[in-house]
Amino acid sequence: MYLKDLSSVSPQVTYTEEFINGDYIIYSKNILSVIEPSYSEIIPASLLRRMGKAVRMGIGAALPLIERNEKINGIVMGTANGGLENCINFLNQIIEYDEGVLTPTHFVQSTPNALAGQLALMSKNTGYNVTHVNGPLAFENAILDAMMFLEGASNKTSLLLGAVEEISNYNYNIDLIAGRYKLENIANNDLITSQTNGSICGEGATMFIVSNDANDALAKIINLKQINFPNQIDLEQLLNQFLIENDLIPDDIDLLILGNNGDVQFDSWYVLLRSCFPANMEYVYYKNFVGEFRTNSAFALFFATQLLNGRFHNHKGIQGNFRNTPKTILIYNQFEGIHHSFILVQSPEPE
Amino acid sequence: MQKIFITGMGAISSIGSTVDEHLNALRSGKCGIQKARFFKSRYAEDLVFGEVPFSDYQLKEFNNLTSQKEITRTTVLALNAFKEAIHNAGISAELLKSDRTAFISSSTVGGMCYTDELYSDANLKGEPSNYARSYEGSDHTWRITKMFNIGGVVDTINTACSSSANAIYMGARLIQTGRADRVIVGGADSIAKYTVNGFNSLMILSEKACKPFDEHRSGLSLGEGAAYLVLESEDAAGKKHKIAELNGFGNSNDAFHPSTISENAIGPILSMNLALQMTGIKPDLIDYVNAHGTGTMNNDLTETRAINTIFKKVPPYNSTKSYTGHTLAAAGSLEAILSILSLNNNELYPSLRCESPIKAHQSRPIFEFVRKELNYVMSNSFGFGGNCTSLIFSKCI
Amino acid sequence: MNREEVKSEFKAHLITYLNLLDITPDQIKDDEPLFDGDLGLDSIDSVELIVLLDREYGIKIINPTEGRQILIDVNTIVDHIVLNRVK
Repeated sequence: MYLKDLSSVSPQVTYTEEFINGDYIIYSKNILSVIEPSYSEIIPASLLRRMGKAVRMGIGAALPLIERNEKINGIVMGTANGGLENCINFLNQIIEYDEGVLTPTHFVQSTPNALAGQLALMSKNTGYNVTHVNGPLAFENAILDAMMFLEGASNKTSLLLGAVEEISNYNYNIDLIAGRYKLENIANNDLITSQTNGSICGEGATMFIVSNDANDALAKIINLKQINFPNQIDLEQLLNQFLIENDLIPDDIDLLILGNNGDVQFDSWYVLLRSCFPANMEYVYYKNFVGEFRTNSAFALFFATQLLNGRFHNHKGIQGNFRNTPKTILIYNQFEGIHHSFILVQSPEPE
Repeated sequence: MQKIFITGMGAISSIGSTVDEHLNALRSGKCGIQKARFFKSRYAEDLVFGEVPFSDYQLKEFNNLTSQKEITRTTVLALNAFKEAIHNAGISAELLKSDRTAFISSSTVGGMCYTDELYSDANLKGEPSNYARSYEGSDHTWRITKMFNIGGVVDTINTACSSSANAIYMGARLIQTGRADRVIVGGADSIAKYTVNGFNSLMILSEKACKPFDEHRSGLSLGEGAAYLVLESEDAAGKKHKIAELNGFGNSNDAFHPSTISENAIGPILSMNLALQMTGIKPDLIDYVNAHGTGTMNNDLTETRAINTIFKKVPPYNSTKSYTGHTLAAAGSLEAILSILSLNNNELYPSLRCESPIKAHQSRPIFEFVRKELNYVMSNSFGFGGNCTSLIFSKCI
Repeated sequence: MNREEVKSEFKAHLITYLNLLDITPDQIKDDEPLFDGDLGLDSIDSVELIVLLDREYGIKIINPTEGRQILIDVNTIVDHIVLNRVK
């Protein structure tokens, strides 16, 4: 599956070239909110007035891609929670008005497939349309879905593939009481090395045009794999099997993109992963840019594509050990030691 | 491309706790929509629901889960149907662990079925509830994955009311593309204040039991339940009993409105045509359509239009939601199972309470029990966000 | 509160409840059809309007036919509010 175009709305200024050209925002609090483009120029006011943040930023990231690419054949999205702000607003109305007369907009907008539906509506796209909500693997499942769709499709079929997650006070609260966030304030720049429990909260929308056509591709997604509830031996075995399935040995990987999120309870998984590769293996982190949220592997893929295309040398936000423009990247992310995923990305082969 | 067979089924809804009980209910015309016994809401008195007739505690008791306080009603419904499906298909614990066994589930309300607890936790009121780590849409999927050590691809889909039809679609393609040998597919939803108030705010809940395809229908009746099917490749199924074959599936988007279907039924017509194309048969070979048939003004009129557009001679159709109520994410897989029951027993069950069929079209749904040789059946599911999915099953002889 | 005051208050509520971005009360004409007009309101907005009337004025509209007769333009709604408000 080839990646032809991409766009992101994130806590960094990613919807323009600023971030790629070296700009790096350091936040001093534990909630990293997206920096949004001005929507009034791209979304009609009659639609914008109903949109919650997740739908809005999803459309903000997706519309430029829809506009500058040829007709797409479908829309595949991943989101663990969809439009939570709308969801909890509706919930609060239920309790506060004791199930009285309630406004339906929040309800309709709270369904996680509201974004995929709205994108279809705005682009008059009657093609394949699915939303995966599989928690920390929602985006990985969306990639898999897109891959299978394109394998069975005629030549030059393309899809809009993406992920969105929003922070609301409410889901921040729920994850806070579930022990997923740090209690002390920490800057995103100090996240990876923080050595305490929990992470910091981020959000974002990242969109891609993917196709079974190699022309003008920016990257090729070779394959991906998930494993759930493994022990450390299972993960090592899975990595080896995954590399073999794709005719690779550890030396073939040029760069690891690692999902370290500063939660000291789970850092050992990344140590284990790196120990499967040569000691001088290059690696970079990405959650210092955008914080932790369920579908931020979509941002990792955005980042990987830029790295494959020679970007981010001497970028002041880069953390890790990164010197050479890579040709083959392995993205590894895990959530609480339970859900793990590998995404293998390469420069598209020369024609 | 690998053929896809159904080798196991499990279901729980207001009309039964097993697939056999569902068959009995269909045969006897038993409707599960009535006053709620366990659901607590100001609407419990005013409206009727297709409620599974057991308390959370009873459901947990059946499944030996009473000590696990964080387990929600959605999860325990899902578990009940999941266990029946894998038992029915004879999938061993060892096979479930294989990385060739996948699990694709779906839910709309997911772990958010306890609206009051979520309200307290989300607004940091009082001590955290038992469900603080159970709210995600994928919660039931992960709990079942952990209980059974499922080794392959695990996924949760939410495309509103077509969710589990799309779970079947996703699972089928894992087999077709050689990424899995067997996939357990389906969905689960429980009645929650959240969804009841949501549909009520749209003014599409019927006061009395829903009357799909009736000219004077007044909305849908919410139900709950879970349904799972085991899909296997021809090689994986081997010599075991094959219940039916999944021949075709189609998904499209109506691209019209967030919560209603277009007058011209663009999405439904596309999804039905795509499923027919994949099956490679002409429409006149479809012997029965299990319609989405919610009982809302909008759905039933446009779906009738779509059926009349696709089929020159309209095949028998009904809405089994007139028995179960609208089970939301479970509807696609539950109705796939009910369609297969019709198919394998050569029986057509009447659509309940359709007294005067929609005037705009000549067709009317099945109005009495009929025995008839059936070979191909179609099941439709349409959801918010314009999502339309159609599935076609055939007999295994 | 006289009719003019009710009207300007209602327009302000209309903008808030329907989240009409970039629209000021004076841009909403009294006799402009709310639905199928420049405002571009649809069936979901009609439900939002019913919620507005209930929460702000204690007016309950249950029957959709009744709703269609009242929710025509600002004038018809304000007339209904003046006659039927309970708060």
